[in-house]
Amino acid sequence: MKRFYIIGFLTLMAFDTLAQISFKYTAMDAEPLTFDAAWFLRILGNPWVYGALCGYLGAFVIWMSLLRHAPVGPSFAASHLELVSVAFFSVWLFNEPLTVPKIAGGLLILLGVLCLAKGEEKEKVADASVPSCSGASPQPPL
Amino acid sequence: MTPLALFLWALNMAVDTGGQLSFKAAASQGVELSPLRHWKFMFLRPWIWLGVCCYAGEFFVWLAFLSQVPLSSGIMLGSINIVVIMLAGRLLFKEKLTSWRVAGILLITLGVALVGLGE
Repeated sequence: MKRFYIIGFLTLMAFDTLAQISFKYTAMDAEPLTFDAAWFLRILGNPWVYGALCGYLGAFVIWMSLLRHAPVGPSFAASHLELVSVAFFSVWLFNEPLTVPKIAGGLLILLGVLCLAKGEEKEKVADASVPSCSGASPQPPL
Repeated sequence: MTPLALFLWALNMAVDTGGQLSFKAAASQGVELSPLRHWKFMFLRPWIWLGVCCYAGEFFVWLAFLSQVPLSSGIMLGSINIVVIMLAGRLLFKEKLTSWRVAGILLITLGVALVGLGE
């Protein structure tokens, strides 16, 4: 089961990352940002925009199937790990600088996401009338 | 950030929050119905369509935003949507703000501010 989660979340991360990288390529190719019909046509005529759509669609399907089995708190946290992979690819593919404010800010955001995930987990545990069927509940069965 | 990037960031926040809240509003009406009837119920009311429109708009707003800022900064700045949606859920749907959630909100806001000021 653990392997199922790990593969699931890595796939989710891959789809999310694909979507964001494709968005960036589309945005760059569609420049200048004129907000007119020509800009929309440049977007729709760019193959990368369909990569973004595929990434979104794939992420949606994987997310929905993961949520059927995995607890929502840890899932929520894991789904935001794309922050790390997208930052990694941004440096690699687009030569973006990783500045100190960016690293520090990114770490704070990740810490915040972990807190939110922890909060969701607590909520689930407190709601004793709905037993967890995931088996990943931190509380032993009574 | 340039004024245009800041404007697109705020606009993205607005359409993303609008979309999420519309879907929440759509999903929380008619929950007593069977799944098939619930979907029919939702399709006949404006909320789900408002959500779809917001998401379609967001697609292009996000593209415009990413042509103004580096992708790594963009994805971090976009995390503020989590905070805004949570606060809106508190206001409109009386969702609870537990201490874990408040801590998460503060940390994410601080992180986004740091990244934003560094841009």
